[in-house]
Amino acid sequence: MEQAVYIHCSDQLRYLSDDFTRLYFGAEFCERLIPPRLELQTALRSARERSLGFTFMTPFVTNRGLEQLEELLAVLEQSLPDAEVVVNDWGVLQLLRSEHPRLRPVLGRLLNKSKRGPRLMNIFEQLPAETKSYFQGSNLDVPAAVRFLAQQGISRVEFDNLLQGLNLEGTDAGLHKSLYVPFAFISATRFCLSANCDDPVKMGSIGIFPCGRECLKYSFNLYNPVMTLPLIRRGNAVFFIHETIPDAVTRHQVDRIVVQPELPV
Amino acid sequence: MKILSPLDSIEEVDSLARAGAGEFFCGVLEDSWYEKYPVISINRRPAGKGHFRRFDDLKEAVAKAHGLGIPVYFTLNEHYYTQAQYDLIRRYLDGATGAGVDAFILTDFGLLQFIKEQRYPAAMHISTGGTVFNWRSAAFFKQLGASNITFPRHLSIAEIETITAKMPPVDTTVFVLNSRCINIDGFCTFQHGLARKEVPPMFKNACMLPFEVQVCSSDQSLPFMRQACMIERQRIWERVHVDDHPCGACALWEFKKLGIGSLKVVGRGNPIERKLCDVNFLKTLLARLDESPGQAEFRSSARMLYTATYKRACRAAMCYYPEVMAAQQEGS
Repeated sequence: MEQAVYIHCSDQLRYLSDDFTRLYFGAEFCERLIPPRLELQTALRSARERSLGFTFMTPFVTNRGLEQLEELLAVLEQSLPDAEVVVNDWGVLQLLRSEHPRLRPVLGRLLNKSKRGPRLMNIFEQLPAETKSYFQGSNLDVPAAVRFLAQQGISRVEFDNLLQGLNLEGTDAGLHKSLYVPFAFISATRFCLSANCDDPVKMGSIGIFPCGRECLKYSFNLYNPVMTLPLIRRGNAVFFIHETIPDAVTRHQVDRIVVQPELPV
Repeated sequence: MKILSPLDSIEEVDSLARAGAGEFFCGVLEDSWYEKYPVISINRRPAGKGHFRRFDDLKEAVAKAHGLGIPVYFTLNEHYYTQAQYDLIRRYLDGATGAGVDAFILTDFGLLQFIKEQRYPAAMHISTGGTVFNWRSAAFFKQLGASNITFPRHLSIAEIETITAKMPPVDTTVFVLNSRCINIDGFCTFQHGLARKEVPPMFKNACMLPFEVQVCSSDQSLPFMRQACMIERQRIWERVHVDDHPCGACALWEFKKLGIGSLKVVGRGNPIERKLCDVNFLKTLLARLDESPGQAEFRSSARMLYTATYKRACRAAMCYYPEVMAAQQEGS
């Protein structure tokens, strides 16, 4: 079982240790947090010094973010032509396929759909077997979906650690699977509630506006009894914590654990 | 630009067509799906109103719409389907094509591939769940055979402009009425459809639940008043209702210039009176656009008509393109 550590800025390189054989680096949710070229180069150097595999994390992007990634992917390809790139945007996949075909695309957890909202756990045991199976499964047991991924050059898919359990029976055995712990993603926005959150004048402005990267200073724990556990809003994404290792790991259906030492924003 | 209207029954076809609908979208929910998957939607709408119940009815509605020159698009836009569901999915695909629908509205890449491989005789439209935030995403889906892209709600007018400027030619749809949400549809994994009579009423949409909020900051000396401000902002969404007439009509002026093809009115399951009101509202504004007003002039008439139609003032939280309101405030 491969263990990777996932960090989003060079300050977090302190988390590298002998426990890990791969470094995930980059922004997964917000294009405003895409690292600058120097940060990427620092992370690449650290990975090389420790002989770690390297996976570059990318978020969903507008045209503006796409331009930033175009530059960074060129740097990455030059430095490490067979590096992995986690894609959470079909346009980034298109960019990789057309401009950087040697880089290896990985299907990110934003594009690997499953229901993660914790309130589902209130009724999960009362649901019909077919419904439970759906919530634990994914579309990766559909042959057409697997063929689609193969056509796109994708051989690895990223999974969250679902509260309802993760059933990977029937998914293609040739498809590599990673599991993220302990933070599981639930939802993302571009009407960021962290943006300008400490400026009373901008209290009601909820839309796509410039921000001061307040997400780097604050996070928010959200409590409601129906959610069964606290939600954590950081930046433009919402998470929960789930540390229990699922059966999919002990059954060797997952071949990589991605450890997030801090919230991945 | 055409008005893409929701359609829930045969009876609605004529009146919505007369009101100005230029396209319809709809779905079917049969008992066989509901029995196995009572809290899982097949088409992003919970059980209850908002669906045709039989493919025979859909067929009649499609024939009627086609008789009026209006195409009908069929929603199979859940974010993912598992293999166990494919017997039913195939039944829906066959039923819809048998009914003569013009296109499927899709999100799931597995289903998109399946439809391509099986050569179903209908076009493929990418739902807002396809999360097309840039021109390359649009190019990606066009390459896969999609003929229409619905943009996400979370794009500014300027961003839509930059995408349409660079993307390959493909028809486009934008949201202009109803169901604005803090979460991006295609990236939201909260489960809707739990608000049913057999489960507690607290299971309303996750985006609107009242949360107790705790601020976590590395700054231990964070002033209390500033914390209060941050908490208030986190909770702001729970006081608005996503269906309290959200509107993006001010942007029609730009959308016409950008060559946007369809204006989507969310609202499967809404009463016919509400659907007619929405379609009429947009039809009036499209007629106003034909008079070639200036941008400010058009926005002013859109806001006046909105207030007169929905008996509400424009509100930033219910504005699809709040940058318009921000610009207006700065200018005033």
